[in-house]
Amino acid sequence: MQKMRDAEIKAIIRAEDAWEPVGPTPMPTLTELRNWDFRLLNTYEPFYAPFCDLCCLCTYGKCDLTGNKKGACGIDIASQQARWILICSLMGTAAHGAHGRHMIDHLIEKLGEDKKIDLGSQVNVEAPIIRTVMGLKPKTLGDLRKAIEYVEREMIHLVSATHMGQEGDYRDFESKAFHAGMLDHVALEAADIAQIVGYGLPTSVADTPLVDLGWGAIDRTKPTIVVVGHNAVTANAIIDYLRSNDLYDQVEVGGLCCTAHDVTRYAGGAKVIGPLSRQRFFLKAGLADVVVTDEQCVVTDIPQLAKAAGAAMIACSDKICYGLENASARETGEILRAVLEEQKQFLILDPEKAAEVIVRAALELAPKRRAQKQLVTKEEGAMLAAKCRGTCEECNRVCPNLLPVSLGVSQARHGNFAKLGELFMRCHGCAKCEEACVNHIPILRLMQAAATWETYKMRSGRGPIHDVEIRKVGSPIVLGTIPGVVLFAGCSNFPGDIDDLAWLAEELARRKFIVTLSGCAAMAAAMSKDAEGKTIYEKYIPEFDAGCIVNVGSCVSNAHVVGAAIKIANIFAGLPNRANFELMSDYILNRVGACGVVWGPYSQKALAIGTGAVRWGIPIVLGPHGSKYRRLFMSKKEAGDWTVVDGRTRQLVDTAEPTPEHMMLVTETKERALVTIIKQCFRRNDTPPGRAIKLNSYISAYKQVIGGLPDDLQNFIRTEKEIPIVYKREVLAYLKEAGWQPKPVLSLPTIIGTYETKVPIEATIK
Amino acid sequence: MYAADVGPQYEGERIRKNEFQVEFGGPDVSHKGELVTVKGLGEVEHEKITVSGPDLKDLPEGFSGPLFIKVEVAGEELEKDLEAVLERRIHQYINYIEGVFHMAQRYDIWIRIHKNSFKKGLNSLEQIGRILIDLFTAELPVIEKMSVEFITDPAKVQNLLVEALKVYKERDERIKGLREEDVDEFYGCVLCQSFAPTHVCVITPERVSLCGAINWLDGRAATKVDPEGAQFAIPKGNLIDLVNISYDNVNQVVTERSMGETTRFSLHSALSYPHTACGCFEAIVFYIPEVDGFGIVSRDFAGPSVTGDPFSTLAGSASGGKQNEGYLGIGIQYLTSPKFLIADGGFNRVAWMSSALKEAAVENLPPELAGKIATEKDVQNVDELTEFMQNAGRL
Ligand code: SF4
Ligand code: SF4
Ligand code: SF4
Ligand code: SF4
Repeated sequence: MQKMRDAEIKAIIRAEDAWEPVGPTPMPTLTELRNWDFRLLNTYEPFYAPFCDLCCLCTYGKCDLTGNKKGACGIDIASQQARWILICSLMGTAAHGAHGRHMIDHLIEKLGEDKKIDLGSQVNVEAPIIRTVMGLKPKTLGDLRKAIEYVEREMIHLVSATHMGQEGDYRDFESKAFHAGMLDHVALEAADIAQIVGYGLPTSVADTPLVDLGWGAIDRTKPTIVVVGHNAVTANAIIDYLRSNDLYDQVEVGGLCCTAHDVTRYAGGAKVIGPLSRQRFFLKAGLADVVVTDEQCVVTDIPQLAKAAGAAMIACSDKICYGLENASARETGEILRAVLEEQKQFLILDPEKAAEVIVRAALELAPKRRAQKQLVTKEEGAMLAAKCRGTCEECNRVCPNLLPVSLGVSQARHGNFAKLGELFMRCHGCAKCEEACVNHIPILRLMQAAATWETYKMRSGRGPIHDVEIRKVGSPIVLGTIPGVVLFAGCSNFPGDIDDLAWLAEELARRKFIVTLSGCAAMAAAMSKDAEGKTIYEKYIPEFDAGCIVNVGSCVSNAHVVGAAIKIANIFAGLPNRANFELMSDYILNRVGACGVVWGPYSQKALAIGTGAVRWGIPIVLGPHGSKYRRLFMSKKEAGDWTVVDGRTRQLVDTAEPTPEHMMLVTETKERALVTIIKQCFRRNDTPPGRAIKLNSYISAYKQVIGGLPDDLQNFIRTEKEIPIVYKREVLAYLKEAGWQPKPVLSLPTIIGTYETKVPIEATIK
Repeated sequence: MYAADVGPQYEGERIRKNEFQVEFGGPDVSHKGELVTVKGLGEVEHEKITVSGPDLKDLPEGFSGPLFIKVEVAGEELEKDLEAVLERRIHQYINYIEGVFHMAQRYDIWIRIHKNSFKKGLNSLEQIGRILIDLFTAELPVIEKMSVEFITDPAKVQNLLVEALKVYKERDERIKGLREEDVDEFYGCVLCQSFAPTHVCVITPERVSLCGAINWLDGRAATKVDPEGAQFAIPKGNLIDLVNISYDNVNQVVTERSMGETTRFSLHSALSYPHTACGCFEAIVFYIPEVDGFGIVSRDFAGPSVTGDPFSTLAGSASGGKQNEGYLGIGIQYLTSPKFLIADGGFNRVAWMSSALKEAAVENLPPELAGKIATEKDVQNVDELTEFMQNAGRL
């Protein structure tokens, strides 16, 4: 069977294409990268924090797994946790995979499977992840479909492993979760390349336009369509319909969540309303004439919310049907009549048809909904707040978020809505304050109004990092003189996280890190202005370079940051990546100071992305909600095994330095996160001057936000030369006290050769 | 520790016109400068910091005026040739200070001090002197003694500048006149081996490193300051190939440091045993067979070069620490070297350059050739280049 499969793989990846020799692991199956996974798990052991110690997956249960107890099938609590991780990662991978499948099928139907992939003159290595994992250099949309087919094929085996009485060891579950995560990245890359090619999104420019974000960005006098979700197929069809009917300037199209990113890449005039956490608020405010849902991270009560706001609502994905009638086969006119006259909501799976219904409904509804779209003006707001003296504080007492509501309301009385707008960012919208208010002040409406007066600038997503940019930063990243590449991903669902993100991004950019953001995190980071009213996107250059801030795009664009790390190894250092997963990951783990940050709580998609990143050798720092992840990867610090092979001498060397220290850990405050992110960008390969720069960032940030010297400097200073000059005396004194000993500095550290693998050591030095 | 925070994270800060408390030098002030002088151990009073003339706290908000920074250093290992390298550190270290910005060098300096840092307590130049001495001596232990004087008195600045201009001139002449033949030692750098394991850079007075960051003097300074660092001295040995310029001991060192991958370097040829490249080069020289000449393209050049290959594709052929005849990675400054590709015919062999590079090379271009090297403004492909060369009488 293996033989047959080998032949099949060769055909799929066109092994005879000579762009690079085929490496050891083309299209790896469940077990082919298991040794690599176990090697990682040896140093970075999973640490579980179960939410629930029962299992009720099958009818043998529910089984009590506390203490040393086992389930009827024999599973223990650690394996059960790891099984949950696998299940959730699979959900995430499936969401992106299905998104990719839908996008690619749709585009192949429109453009044919031979539609060429061309990402412009600045990008030669078009698909670093697909090349590395599969060994395929995708040339056409049809090739991207092969990538999705590979993901689908592997997933069936992975899902099977979660069945009762199958896999029985937590490490194997983790290895499978890694596999799911890696497949997730394949799907992400395929989906984004497909939309770039299929919709002609910008790819070879760094300086993408600044787009408006926030409620204030929407021109309420125009018919307003709001698209919620992550798959821009329908949103783009709406834009096409508007353009071909000369309506583009007359209708507002805004997006919530990632569809917003992608639609602004397609049409600069589209608006970004905000991240996931803003969905309910916006819909409740009633500004949308038509609400459109596609897929993933769409709150499940949108039909009710739309109805309450008097807006029309159309669902467009087979993944989210809401029990609605499927009108895909019906006449447009007929659907429209039912929408307008009977306020009916429909499922329409034909994007072009849906687009027409949606636009026409918006045009019809807008004039009738004018009154509903009126928001409180500042003067009215001040009047509404007039009775509050800010003294009874009933509102504060009931607020589950402990917000100083009274302060906001009493300031609004004098026409100052700044505080109220601020509160809104942290408010969950439970309306308890309003209920409690002795003066019956409509506090929520006031807050909403305050928020709608704000508009923010966000740079629209730019897609892949250019090969030339990689050449420019490759050396300083590997030498360590650019202190790190940081990706902020995931959705920051809790409003308080919003300020933290902008703060973290700016603190890192200021310290010459390369800062990248994606998805809802990229939006959230835009929702914070400095004293001059500028967002980070207005202040920082959008290049992939030291001290710059880049919005790569929606969730699927996360692939480009992992891709950039691979490109550093492949383009810059010239290591072959074709079907060479371990070689690339080893390079990233040991030499590319990259770190992912998932700040707010996240969907299963973010779990898949994060788990995949760890397999690539990219550590993840989680925010305060991170423990809900239920699994961390932590080393035993100094006590762990930090032996590597020195590629120069082929000898095993105990580096005695825990870098990167952990592969997934939680930080409780933004200050802790800052110093942790900086530390997670240390790599064994750092040259002494590079490490000195990284340590300088670490110490200066620590002093600034926590105070004093960090208490683990002795672990990361290898020679005296690495002590940042500014702190030399202080640090020397500290090291002496800590009993510091110099450690070896290697220029070619690798963990290939410390475990059983098909990759020869020679491959790492080329 | 200091009134303002200090660290490399503050490099690159900009301070705008309405933000500075005090400004020294810059385009509107005619007299300003900085000078490092190496002196005997007995001649320097260690840690002495003087301010001659009004200090920051004595100057009105928004003041703009002259300044001269006079630094004297002494140390057993220090030599005159290192002065220029040390002087550049003034720029680097002053920029480390939060809310202080320093631009340019020598007689051209421009310094601004932010109101916020002034308010925080940075109200004397003495504090800047303290920081400079701390950073210099922490980073460069070869400096055993160091004193700093800030002169703000206009008449004194003017006098000092006259003297300093002479020193700058002498230095320039010495470095400009420096030939490979005049020195016994070249310098090697293997910093980039962490990603190009077999690559070695050889830096001579007539060949700046391909990353452009290290010239011969820097190499010399680095080996003095940090003998165990990535840069090391290479006693050049004997010239064994007069045409391609190859030295036996250089080859020996290259062989050892490249783990046997490369055994011979021609220091000034792209065609025979070319110098290898790691990938950090600022520009690439590539051979174009159709015109038997070279093209040169820089990293910033967007779009395809004359052969149709963009920089990124050419870079793939030039890098990786392997010799690839017909490809040579260079630092832009190499274009001004008297030995520029001398083994291959120098600029006589260059057919195409991106226009920005041509500008950078202009002083070194034989005048009769200036109009005969094509740029992207003249030709778009090799056919057009061939025609261009024929019209120029070069083919
Ligand atoms: S899967 Fe195992 S532990 Fe879970 S309910 Fe079934 S028998 Fe019990
Ligand atoms: S609506 Fe917002 S401010 Fe009011 S009680 Fe609820 S969380 Fe607090
Ligand atoms: S309960 Fe009403 S009146 Fe009392 S402080 Fe709060 S908003 Fe003002
Ligand atoms: S390119 Fe520059 S840093 Fe790299 S080895 Fe050469 S001289 Fe050293």
